Amino acid sequence: MTGAAGSRSPYGDLTVVELAGDPAGEALGKLLATMGADVIKVEFPEGAPSRRIGPASAGARDGDPNASLNFWFYNVGKRSVVLDYKTSEGIGQLRGLLHRADIAITGWRPAEWAELGITPADLRDGAPRLIVVNLSPFGLDGPWADMVSSDLVGLALGGPLNSCGYDDHSVPPIRPGGDQGYQLTASFGHLGVLLALLERQLTGQGQLIDVAMHDCLSVSAELANPYWFYPRVLVHRQTCRHAQPTPTQPALFATADDRYIYFVLITTEQKPWQSLVDWMESRGLAADLTDPSYDDPAYRLANFAHIQQLVEVFFLLQRAGDIYHEGQRRGLPVGVLNAPEDLPHDEHLMAREFFVPVADDAPGGPHLYPGAPIRFSALAAPPVTRAPRLGEHTADVLGEQA
Amino acid sequence: MRVIVKIVIIIMNLDSVSAAGFSWQVNEASGRSGEVTVYPNERRRPRPRRGPLAGVRVADFCWMGVGSVATRLLADFGAEVIKIEDRTRIDTPRKLPLYKDQSARNFGEEVVGADPDKGGLFNNYCRNKLGVTINMRSAEGRRLAERLIAASSVVTENFAPGVMERWGLTYERLRELRPDVIYARMSGYGHSGPHASYRSYGPVVQAVSGLSFISGLPGREPSGWGLSYMDNQAAFYNSAAILMGIRHRLLTGEGTEIDVSAVETGISLLGPVLLEVTVNGRVTRGQSYPAGNRLEHPPAAPHGVYPASGEDRWVAITVFSDEEWSRFADAIGRPAWTADERFASQQSRWDNQDALDEAIAAWTSERDRHEVTKLLQDAGVRAGAVQNAEDLNETDPQLAHRGVFFQMDHPVIGEARFEGVPVRFDGMSADNWRSGPMLGEDNEYVFKELLGIGDDELAELAASGAI
Repeated sequence: MTGAAGSRSPYGDLTVVELAGDPAGEALGKLLATMGADVIKVEFPEGAPSRRIGPASAGARDGDPNASLNFWFYNVGKRSVVLDYKTSEGIGQLRGLLHRADIAITGWRPAEWAELGITPADLRDGAPRLIVVNLSPFGLDGPWADMVSSDLVGLALGGPLNSCGYDDHSVPPIRPGGDQGYQLTASFGHLGVLLALLERQLTGQGQLIDVAMHDCLSVSAELANPYWFYPRVLVHRQTCRHAQPTPTQPALFATADDRYIYFVLITTEQKPWQSLVDWMESRGLAADLTDPSYDDPAYRLANFAHIQQLVEVFFLLQRAGDIYHEGQRRGLPVGVLNAPEDLPHDEHLMAREFFVPVADDAPGGPHLYPGAPIRFSALAAPPVTRAPRLGEHTADVLGEQA
Repeated sequence: MRVIVKIVIIIMNLDSVSAAGFSWQVNEASGRSGEVTVYPNERRRPRPRRGPLAGVRVADFCWMGVGSVATRLLADFGAEVIKIEDRTRIDTPRKLPLYKDQSARNFGEEVVGADPDKGGLFNNYCRNKLGVTINMRSAEGRRLAERLIAASSVVTENFAPGVMERWGLTYERLRELRPDVIYARMSGYGHSGPHASYRSYGPVVQAVSGLSFISGLPGREPSGWGLSYMDNQAAFYNSAAILMGIRHRLLTGEGTEIDVSAVETGISLLGPVLLEVTVNGRVTRGQSYPAGNRLEHPPAAPHGVYPASGEDRWVAITVFSDEEWSRFADAIGRPAWTADERFASQQSRWDNQDALDEAIAAWTSERDRHEVTKLLQDAGVRAGAVQNAEDLNETDPQLAHRGVFFQMDHPVIGEARFEGVPVRFDGMSADNWRSGPMLGEDNEYVFKELLGIGDDELAELAASGAI
């Protein structure tokens, strides 16, 4: 991108009250905070549930509500206010916060709203411009609305899990890592908030946005639904590659340094085929693939298993990083399976200064955190700041109201 | 404060009025020649759109899944998204073999000479968009594209870095054409840095960002993803970036260039394990990570996917507290093994998950996955069948109630089903007005009615291969 980034942040004018306590709501708050919103995380006196989920930062004492790395990940850039809105004083203070807020993030099933004794409409009472976004497992209505869920259960019922796992179907489908059921829900919540903000520019009115993890996941298995809409077939899971109607060849290759690369061997197109053979030949490992008979795609198809074996050996004799860069240099879409610890040293990410140092509460800091994945010429995300300690901003925020 | 809000609304109105007014004037200009585009089926004719993006015109160079999904949301909520295609380089989703009337082929097994208007995946990705063809390798084609850009306020693309530059379409040039343009660029690696030109698609992004590595059983190769998850997530981050850009323009009158990297988006989604690595110095390579379907934190147990009766049928069961365990044990009738002291507390269940999983699997394997779901959910236990697309579309009562999927007709495909936007508002809804465009379906409408190009010139553009 050309030109220096602007100084205004995308959400620098927005105030958000975050009441949700599960990763979906917290991840949405994080998306808004990362782009500059003042996200006020409202916690009961005992703290958000995510403060009690491990792991803790190294050296922390047991039960320290300010040391959960789970909490840190989902709550960077927010402010924390302790406010017991099950009391009348607390609900009054919450109402004060909501009156000055643009967005409220909630995360409750209908039964949980009833238990709290409030409705989404109550939150907007006297605050017609407020956008309330509720991220819940199944949404605010329907026969399953009060069913309970988790990331794994959400991914199962919503469909994506059916596509993930191993070739060996005696092994169950395997959940992809990183709370993606929740994080995908947060992405849809974010889009909903943005659409509501634009609509509010036109009408002056807020919205109630009802986002169900189940709905979100049911439209997020890529090819599974279109395969059912059109040829009416089901896809079946395969090891680290697309679930398909019928089995395809492996795409994960082991390397000399006991790592993996992802590469789909395509023999039908001449250009990538020639790139691959040239590459193998440059290492003296093309074997018989330089034989003119392989110029014919039909011959290649007939000898596919043999080619795949040679490619397996070719990769097994090289280091993953070398394969990745040399393959890409030759125009082949090879991917290296990075582990999280590989990423801060990646030369490309370093050149783009993607990871940023954050002064957090763990010893030996500052530590590297991921920066904003969206960059604008006219706007700048604010610097990433650590997650708040429990109630760290209570006095500040309630003082601002007075 | 109130005054500022009013001014902003006026600016917004002017923006949409000028956008609409611009096309209206051009309509009048083209109306002088008495030409109105003929649509064989009048219901395919573009009509005024409804939603927060009505009046925003997008010159959409995006292609492939990740690009098409990014601009789909804009089209769903009222933007006039004009998808620009090249007749000599058909967009892959048009070619992938997802057809109603043919036996299934695997993704990637393209049909030579296939009808580009029959592809179901394209229809799913490009509903509510207009479709034009422009050959960007011809000078006339590039001039035409610039006219379209000048009449639009958002330009989107997801080519490899350098392609748009080769056509002269830098941000500087776009600003000459439309001073407040939003130029949204999405790519695998972003538009700077030593790997900017690396090739990627969903699975490569998932590999490089770490999302594949963190998924699988311990001591085995990663199971990763059975779908291009990052085609969705990178698309959604890009949609969000465009909406942020539009909002910025409403507030300030200023446009922006946008750079979204799919790999960086993927890294930002890795979850708390990323901070374990950067803060605590954890090394995840080894024999104990990742944990498959089990959770490292919190110590939930059981937390797994268990076999149900039938071929390759499964049910997920997750128990996060002693209270939930007690409800689980009650629900299944407290068989003797539930009283095993190894399963007495959350921590001891977590410490003895092999034995626990074996006992639960023996119980589930004789039962139907949906019956297990109902039995456990009735007891307030977080459990759910692993559902496939048939379950979601044919029997899931919740999705039917919520109306997540919907139908629209298509001239070649016929009645087709679509994945709706899973976000419900109390004051607005998606404007699903038309299924995906046939190749070049809206050429006349866009070039004549919107841009005011005359019949003769259009005929020349067609004859020269520019469209």
